[in-house]
This record gives sequence, structure tokens and C-alpha cells, in this order.
Amino acid sequence: MIRYIAGRLPSAVVVLFLASILIFSVMRLVPGDPALALAGPDATPEAIAAIRHSLGLDKSIPAQYLTWIGDVLILDLGRSFVLGGQISDLVLAGLGNTAVLAGSALLLAVVLSLVLSVAVVVWPKKWLTSVVNLLNTLSVALPNFVTGVLLVLVFAVLIPVLPSGGVPPGGYLARPDITFQYLLLPSLCLALPVAAALTRFLSEALRTEMAQQYVITARAAGVPRWNLVTRSALRNALPTMLTVLGIQTGHLLGGAVLVEAIFAWPGIGQLIEQGIGRRDYPVVQVLLLLSVTIFVLIQLLTDIVHAYLDPRIRIGGQQ
Amino acid sequence: MNSSLSTAGLDRRAFFRGSAIAAFAVFGSGSLAACSSAVGEQRSDAVESVEPVRGGTLTLAIPDDVSPAALLTSTTVAGVTISGLVYETLTRYPLDSVVPQPVLAKAWKLSDDGLTLTLDLRDDVTFHSGRRFTSADAEFSLRTYADPKFSAQLRSTAAAITGFDSSNPNTLVLTLAHRTGNIFDLLDLAPIFDPETFDKAVTGESFVGTGPFVFTSRTPNSSISFDRNPDYWVAERPYLDHVEARIVPDAQARLTSLKSGQVSLVAPASLPFRDSQNLAKTSGFATTSIEGAELQIYLGANVTADGLTDVRARKALAYAIDRDRIMSEVYRDTGYAANLPWPKSSPAYDAAKNATYTRDVGKARALVGDLGALPTIPLTYTGASPDFEAAAQIVQANLAEAGIRVELDPVEASIFVKQLIGAEFKGLWLTNHTFAQYVPSTLTVSAYPFNAAHNASKFSSPAYSAAAEGAWQVPDGSSDEAKKLYAELGTQLLNELFLIEIGVVVPQVSAAETVRGLAWTKGRQPQFANTFLA
Repeated sequence: MIRYIAGRLPSAVVVLFLASILIFSVMRLVPGDPALALAGPDATPEAIAAIRHSLGLDKSIPAQYLTWIGDVLILDLGRSFVLGGQISDLVLAGLGNTAVLAGSALLLAVVLSLVLSVAVVVWPKKWLTSVVNLLNTLSVALPNFVTGVLLVLVFAVLIPVLPSGGVPPGGYLARPDITFQYLLLPSLCLALPVAAALTRFLSEALRTEMAQQYVITARAAGVPRWNLVTRSALRNALPTMLTVLGIQTGHLLGGAVLVEAIFAWPGIGQLIEQGIGRRDYPVVQVLLLLSVTIFVLIQLLTDIVHAYLDPRIRIGGQQ
Repeated sequence: MNSSLSTAGLDRRAFFRGSAIAAFAVFGSGSLAACSSAVGEQRSDAVESVEPVRGGTLTLAIPDDVSPAALLTSTTVAGVTISGLVYETLTRYPLDSVVPQPVLAKAWKLSDDGLTLTLDLRDDVTFHSGRRFTSADAEFSLRTYADPKFSAQLRSTAAAITGFDSSNPNTLVLTLAHRTGNIFDLLDLAPIFDPETFDKAVTGESFVGTGPFVFTSRTPNSSISFDRNPDYWVAERPYLDHVEARIVPDAQARLTSLKSGQVSLVAPASLPFRDSQNLAKTSGFATTSIEGAELQIYLGANVTADGLTDVRARKALAYAIDRDRIMSEVYRDTGYAANLPWPKSSPAYDAAKNATYTRDVGKARALVGDLGALPTIPLTYTGASPDFEAAAQIVQANLAEAGIRVELDPVEASIFVKQLIGAEFKGLWLTNHTFAQYVPSTLTVSAYPFNAAHNASKFSSPAYSAAAEGAWQVPDGSSDEAKKLYAELGTQLLNELFLIEIGVVVPQVSAAETVRGLAWTKGRQPQFANTFLA
């Protein structure tokens, strides 16, 4: 297993290095200038030059890249051009909020998909399958910004039982009941498309598993359908679900940008969106690199878990 | 084949138990909300009252976080909010005039030659740090304002101050390089900083002023909190105990935050005009206009671009635009059509001149006919703004009626600013400007589009420069002499039309009806010393 993991690491490092060059280059290719964004429309050329110098933007592009990547490697992420603070502080705060949101959304998605997938396979009623399919289609078809606005409209404005946005005022741990209410709408909005994709794949994998010879034999021997699904088919279908979960986690982080904007959730997505709009190069570069790192790590983790669950993969990898 | 039928897994009971927990997690919010409601805790529990009430927290939604490095520009609503709550200025204009009123300066005297301004300062003011405010602090703040690296809008006026005498802690004497008609604009806009903590202000760590509220904390991209200043020099003020500004970047989210009671107020001009108008008709909410803090929407023209070099083409544009339709459909009648930038409250407002170019498609067509075929002209605007998008579409349709083809060119905000400062527009552009609500000459020396020396239109004219300089150097910006010079400036603007004004827009502010005593400056900075929750 260790050899399998060691074999996967070099490609991850190469991906991260190439990503850093790509991210840095793309940011410099995007039209717009952070010095101008800071200076405002009434700035003089002298003021803009002074700001550009203070931000280090008057150096050559390779020199700027080397300075940046050198600092990142020693974990000095620099200061935000726009927000003024240390990027490490901004990222930690944003990352914490996004992790809470994405984590709760992921948990919700997994629970929902498990419940629905097992239900449609254990009780293969036509109406139940139709309802689940309809919910799946709606969840995938409706973009986050529509679902989010609808949820806010219904549960925060028309029937005002939940907050329309923001984070719990006293922090997440101070009042769990209040935290739960703040989290429910944004995490549900983020979880729905992920849950739909997971349900679709998992229910299909379960159906395939239920058509296997060993299941037919077991059914003929009188083993209840429920036992077959939960004790055998589900375990065999989990690798498929894990693969999809890995990919969907990436999509989920992407979707967080919109959901955080709709629910005024001060996470990484909001930081990226504002950073791009105001050309806050250091913040956007760090956040994009962080996103790539998280994605690479999740893929690595998925591969490792996959290999753990299915020995053929790690043996094949070693060979 | 997997034959592990007996391996540990979910049994039916465990599945139902898990499902029940999941169902509770998803659907149990209602019951939880009934026990301890996050919504209920955000709402004001104050009773209806018109008498000022002490205490309470005012929560307002703002669209962005502060850019500390740009604290002296009005580029963020958060910066404007901090400026209004934490800092004070030496003098302050009321909304309806440009006659300065005392704030940190009790009285002042301008010498007969207009070159020396003596300010008598209050001696009972302390910074939030506890240190006494003196004339040296005022000198530091005005010198800082003139520093080019802060890119403050009235820097040219601050730079006209060539001498400071702060030897008396209660008196500041300013020596001016020349007579400066808008010196009180500078005193209205320049915040008075605490020199000992200014470094922390430009990094966003701390903001220390003399204002009614003390900065307490900032969570970047999330919220900024303020507490009541217990040592405020105005007795018994402010009424509120706390103010919390929540950063809500999405306009729809700001609206729902207000409607759901999570915030009691949305910062001025931070909601679409249609939403503000609807809130005015909704029970429990109020929308008010901030007359005196106007914005102006205009069409800029690069006078060197193909099709726009001849002033007759620009006149055709001015005749073709349906200003009333734009003001009605886009700005929901929250302002009025205009040909000149200055609003009705300005000493430079001239009703007759503002009717110079009313919609006349016939005249526009005749002018286009004289010029022959015009090329397609690009019209650049900030695509993220639904108001600019709608206004640009109306302009495009209007000009098509006059035989002028326009190609819409929506761009990102930062690219728009780059093109504006770099004078890079390929034809026309549509946006808004401010500063016309101050002393009229401020516009032509401080607002970039009107700058006589260097502007986005690439326009220059000795007559316009002379008119701008003459208006700026009148000592009393609201005198009869000044009004004559403003009239000349207006004539130049109408004749040359490098900027084609569309209308004056009055910013709207929407709040819950329980919020009373709201006040704003001409720069839309909050003045919450008298604000209370009814």
C-alpha cells in the first residue's frame, strides 16, 4: 500500500507545479490592473505608478513569479492588495467557513443519496422510483443560484423560520442549534446536485449488483432483499459511489462560489470571486493553487481508498 | 463474486434509525427554530416609538469590504461607512447646500485675499484612543490627504495648501497657493486621523477617529463592528450601542436579508432601483431619497474616435437620447433628466441650460445627414450593472432611430476603470460620476472625466481650461461672481459635448420602519449619532 501511495505522489507534485505556473500566467493575462482598481477612477498616473511600485508590480513577470512561489514554499502567502490583511489569515478564516459548509453539504448529500438509493432498490415501486427520478432531475437541472434563491424566498422571507444568510454570530460551537439553522439552507442548496448525482450512480450500481448471480442464488435460497442490499450489494457498490463522490467534491467546491454569494457566507468562494473582480492577484493565486491542491489531494485520497477497498487496484499498481 | 452475505452491515432497524436521523436533520429545522430561533434573535424586539430610544444594535448590509490602502477614495461602501461612523471632518455641508457647518472646527475666517484660512478648533474632542485632538492632527490628516499614493479625489485642492501653522493646538492656519473656491469641499471630505495609529488604518487592522462610534473588530469579507463612543463630544449621543455592518456582496441577498429581518438597513444605492421602489410599498419598510448626494449618469465620448470627432455628431447624440425614458424605466423616477452635471441644489444649476438638448430625433437625423455616413460606434459600460445595461440598450435604440449605429461593449468593472483612466475607450462609454453636489468647480478639477488637463474624452480646449480654472479660483464658491463663471463653464460643456449628461439620480436607501433618525452626508457617509431603533 505504501509503495502504491509513493507511486502516486510524484505526479501530484508535477500537477501542482504546472498549476502554479498556469495560475500565475493566467492572472497576468487577464485584462485589468490591481493598481488601477485600488486607485479609483480619479487617480493620477503618478499615484498609479506609486501604488504599482508598492505592490511589486513594476518588476518583470518571471521575477514576480519566482518571488511569489518562493514565498509560498516557505508558507509566506503575502498580503492582500485589496483587503489589507495577511493572506494566511484570510485563507484560514475563509477555508474554515467553506470547510464547514462543504462538509455539512457533503454529509447531507451522502445521507440523502444512501437513503434514497437503498429505498428504491429495496422497495422497487414504480411511484417511488418516479419520485426519486423527478427529484434527481430537478436537483441536477436547477442551478445553485435558482435553488438558493428559492430556498431563501420560501424559508427566510415567506415562512421566516431560517436565516437568509450569514454565519452564526457567536461562532459555530457556541450555540449548535443556531449553527444548524444558519447551515441548513446553504448546505442543502449545495448538497442537492451532489446528492442527485450520487443517488443516480449508487442506485444503478446497486441494481447491477442485485442482478449478479450470487444475489439471484441467495434470493432463491430465501435471503431477504433487505439483507442482500445492505450487507452485500451496498458494500460492493461503494467503490463506484466513492469515485463519483471524489469528482462531485470538486464540483461542490466550485458550486460553493455561487452558494456563498447567495447566502453571504464568507468562505473561500466569496474570497475568490471578490479577488478576481478587484484583481487581488496574491489572494486569487493562493486560493486557486489551494483549490488545485485540495482537488489533487481528494483524487489521491479517492485512489487510496479505492485501492484499499479493491485489492486488484493496488496489486495492479505494484505490478 | 462476493459471498460475504453474513458480513457486518446495515440491518433494517439500523437503516430506519439512520433514515430517521437524516430526516430529522433535514426537516427538523422548524421544530428547532421554534425552540431557539436564529431569525428571532436577529430581529429587533424594540417597541414602536417615535421618541428617541437608547441602546440596541443597528445591523446594516453593505456590498463590499474595505480596501484599507484606498481608504481616502470613495471606491468601497465599507470605506465610506467607516469614514462616516469612526471619523469626523473639520466642517460639514448640510445636504441641501454648500454652506459649511462646524464639526471639529468651531469657526473659521478666510482672509480678504482668499489665501489664508484660519480654523478655530474644538478643544473638547478626544480620539477613541483617549488622546486629545489638536491642530497637529488636522495638519497631519490634510497632508496625508495630499499624498499622491492615496489617490484621494480632492488631492489637487489639498495640494493647493502650501503652508500649515499648528503652533496653537486649538487653531490651524492654512496658507493657499492660490484662491481656492472648493477648500471647504476638502474640509468636508478629508477625515481626521489619529497620526499615532494611522499605520494600522492603512493595513485594515484598526481605525481610530473622533466619531460617534468606535471601531471594535473586522472579519474580512464578513462583518465590521462598532461600539458606541462613550466619550463622544456631543452630549448624550449616539443613541445606538452598537452598529454592525455585514458584508453581503449579492444584491438579491441584501434584499432578502432586509426582508427577512436579518439586517435593518441596506447601505445607500446598494439595491436595484426597482427593489427600493417595491420596498417603499411594502409594509414594515421605508425607502428614502438622499437629496443632495446625487449621482449623475452620462455618456462619454472619445472626441478622437471615428464618428465622434465632429461636434455635430455629438450634438446628434445629445438630441437623440431619450433621457426621460432612461430616468423613468431604469432609475424609476428617482431623479430627473439633465444636460449639465450639477443637481438642483447646486449654485450652478440652470433650468434653461438643462433644456438645451431635449429629445428631437428630427434634429438628430438632420445633423447626421449633414455629416454623411457614420461608422458603427462602440458603447462601453460595466456589464455587471443591470442599470447600465438597461440604459445602454435604450441609448442604442435611440441612436438607431437617428441613424447612428452603436455596438454594445459590456466589460468588467476593473477593465472599465482601466479604460477610463487610460483614456482607452474606442468610442462612447456610459457610467455615472459624482462630486457635482459639492462646490461646482470641484467637478472640473477633481472628477476625472471633467478634468481640463487630462480626461478620458481626450478633449482639450483653452476656453474650457480657462473656465475651469477661473471657477476654481473664486474664493466664495457660492457667490454671484462664482455663479457667472459656472454659467460660462456650463456653456463650454454644452458647446463641446465631450460628456453628454443624461440625468441626475438621487440615491435611495431602504430600511426597516423601526430605524429612525437616519442621516447621510453628501458623500453618502452614514451620520448615525441621532439614529435609534423605535
